[in-house]
Amino acid sequence: MRTVILIIALGVASQAQEVQKKQYVSQLTTPHVSVAGAQTATVELKFAIQPEMHINSNHPNTDNLIATKLTLDLPTDLSVVKTIYPAGKDFAFAFDPSEKLNVYSGEFPITLHVRPAHGAMAGPLKVHGELQYQACNDRACFPPKKLPVEFEVTVLKTKSRRR
Amino acid sequence: MILLVAGMIYLGARISRNQKVGLEPPEAPQVAAGNPAPEFELKTLDGKTAKLSDYKGKAVLLNFWATWCEPCKIEMPWLVEYNKQYGPQGFTVLGVAMDDDADSKAWVQKDIRKFSDEMKVNYPVLLGTSKIGDTYGGVPFLPEIFYIGRDGKIVEHAIGLKGKGEIEENIKKIL
Repeated sequence: MRTVILIIALGVASQAQEVQKKQYVSQLTTPHVSVAGAQTATVELKFAIQPEMHINSNHPNTDNLIATKLTLDLPTDLSVVKTIYPAGKDFAFAFDPSEKLNVYSGEFPITLHVRPAHGAMAGPLKVHGELQYQACNDRACFPPKKLPVEFEVTVLKTKSRRR
Repeated sequence: MILLVAGMIYLGARISRNQKVGLEPPEAPQVAAGNPAPEFELKTLDGKTAKLSDYKGKAVLLNFWATWCEPCKIEMPWLVEYNKQYGPQGFTVLGVAMDDDADSKAWVQKDIRKFSDEMKVNYPVLLGTSKIGDTYGGVPFLPEIFYIGRDGKIVEHAIGLKGKGEIEENIKKIL
């Protein structure tokens, strides 16, 4: 009997850990763009939030809320010129309609303008990063999470001009 | 052995169904209603140490919350009101702030204090740790409330934002 209880307890503990590791946002595609040296390319990262859930936008209405934010570990040959987060939508919990939050739900993009460094070597550059977010449904909130994010930029060979 | 396998299958199906809904974590056996509430020792926001056993003989509403949790913010004024209303009957709210590094980083404690002051919190605020989270079933969602009777046993367990009336009903069960 003790063994049975122990096995069930271990099973529940393991499931509880799974809940804590669970992601509520996923990256829908892994973009791959090509760009000639010194030009700018647009990378659109698309994300999906689980149904019936929302995450704070990049500009939540109050200071204590955790904003959705992308951080990238960029190769030295690449820089991000601009990061564009979409505008969020107003949302209020049924128990307090007066407190308006600014959130994303469903699918949302984050757009990046990237530019290779002057003299960057031609070839593929893999970029990795993390999307920080904090998800809630209409009754409960889940601890802040970090979703691994990736995309690829291929730097094209620059044609040399003939004189 | 057949019973064991059947039990595991039932448990797995129940957990899977609950997780699909996204609201209910698996009920940890050690914090199920009827069991003694696990003992803990935590730092308080005012620099002291508090243990659950310090409140022996009192009815305790143990509330897990965080500054980034909007539903927690909604129910806090209700907890403040009930702490004042039922305090003379031997009732207390204990708020456990589950912000990351609540027990170790001064700037996190500053945020918790600012938030608590803004919410006019009139009950002890304890600084949560991952250990107390694990002890109380993982605390994967916030807010989460354990209603603990005067005998130290868990009477009710509520996950997520509930109505004000439901909170008061549960308080009356432990008075």
